[in-house]
Amino acid sequence: MGQQKRLLMIDDDPDFVSGIKAILDAANFEVDVAYNPKDGLQALQTKRYDLLLLDIMMGRGAEGIMIARKLRKDPKLREMPVLIITGIREQIAFLFPGEPIHPRFVPVDELVEKPVEPKMLLEKVNRLLQAAEARKARAN
Amino acid sequence: MDDRPKILIIDDEEVVLDSCAQIVEGSHYQAVTASDGTLGLKLVQELQPDLIFVDLKMPGVSGFEVLEKVNEIDPTIVTVVITGYATVSSAVEAMKKGAYDFLPKPFTPDEFRLITRRGLEKRRLELETIALRREKEMLREHFAAIVSHELRAPLNAVQQNLFVFDQELSGKLTEDQKARLERIKSRIDDLLKLVRSWLRVVSVDMGKLKEGFAPVSVIASISKAIESVEPYAVRKDIEIVISINDRLRPIEGDSVTLTEALVNIIGNAVKYSYEGSKVLVRAEEKADHILITVSDTGAGIPREDLPHLFEGFYRGKSGQAVEEGHGLGLALSRRIIEAHNGTISVESELGAGSTFVVSLPALRAQPTPQGG
Repeated sequence: MGQQKRLLMIDDDPDFVSGIKAILDAANFEVDVAYNPKDGLQALQTKRYDLLLLDIMMGRGAEGIMIARKLRKDPKLREMPVLIITGIREQIAFLFPGEPIHPRFVPVDELVEKPVEPKMLLEKVNRLLQAAEARKARAN
Repeated sequence: MDDRPKILIIDDEEVVLDSCAQIVEGSHYQAVTASDGTLGLKLVQELQPDLIFVDLKMPGVSGFEVLEKVNEIDPTIVTVVITGYATVSSAVEAMKKGAYDFLPKPFTPDEFRLITRRGLEKRRLELETIALRREKEMLREHFAAIVSHELRAPLNAVQQNLFVFDQELSGKLTEDQKARLERIKSRIDDLLKLVRSWLRVVSVDMGKLKEGFAPVSVIASISKAIESVEPYAVRKDIEIVISINDRLRPIEGDSVTLTEALVNIIGNAVKYSYEGSKVLVRAEEKADHILITVSDTGAGIPREDLPHLFEGFYRGKSGQAVEEGHGLGLALSRRIIEAHNGTISVESELGAGSTFVVSLPALRAQPTPQGG
């Protein structure tokens, strides 16, 4: 499927990250990791990624949502697909009362709950990447 | 700063003020006096006293008016009325208006001290109750965040790495090792689920839930619930048979928690069903109510356990060991359904299966239902 895809994962739990990264490494993705929102945003500014894997509850609260909101406003990054991997689904419902369980943080995202079965993780990642490519092809 | 309890005495008779001040002197509380209602109320604002004695019969602003104003300023301030004439009726009237006690004139120092002590004790308890209530509310609100992160995070990390192990070691493990890894994963999964339902029982504020009620499609909620239970059913080769009248009216409610309640009930039916059996989910409208019936042909519930089924932390104490239940799911479901002005009931026969019936009032008009 073309050249190797580059993914960025932003999550503050190194043990959880290693459990995700191992699956993605084995599936031949190139994965960079940022362990806090600040490093994550910096990585997004300096390197080009095909997909972002984003944790929501980091640091002192839902800092992942901050990142998602920044992405939505950034004309360069808003097309990048985002897979939100979150510890708790209802946490999201608390943050966005009255909205459906899967709020659309950014135009192109998906949400999975921690922990993620390897098969499901790869399915979601591949589907998002394919959708992004199809969009790009249409735009050209 | 003086942090002794503050007493305010409002009376137009100087003798009363003087003697009260004398009685109080040297005690562990401080007293301030006012010779009329207007001055008294000014002092209430400035001092925020713990206890107020107020004469009912004063020229100008009356004792009753003072009581009313104090109640507006701070209802936790304890008030005691001084009744100049020994009429019980005016004291009763005052207590109806919120006074805690009354002190008939003339009174002895001991009587005054006794009522003061009781009044201050009442004030202390009042403040403590408020503080505890606030603390409880804060705990409940923060509980979601604390539990989700502190308890679930390590479990998620462990489980995620077990998934990786499982994948990396596939083909290298013996059957026995494979089975053991499966068991580890399944136990962690139970623990994750337990934390989650516990969290929900504690954190869902049913009162607040009602504020966000909107028309909800029962069909959508049932479909979502089944979707969420399906993987467990497939694993046990259980077929979920659905029979829904697709012209059901919507109900007034919260789709997220309603789905949650149904997940628990349907999940329960799957959990207690035998492999290869069927779980029936039916929805129909009867007498302005939507009836959702979930039946299984599983183990059934012993008669003595039925009355406790919807109580939290109940797992059943008779018969064979209950399979990995934690007794919270049904309790939570009941709370959610009752918040929706509905009811849940169960009929069961040991060895033959159980039937749960949820009844929810249907919406009269037919507005556009909220998605799921």
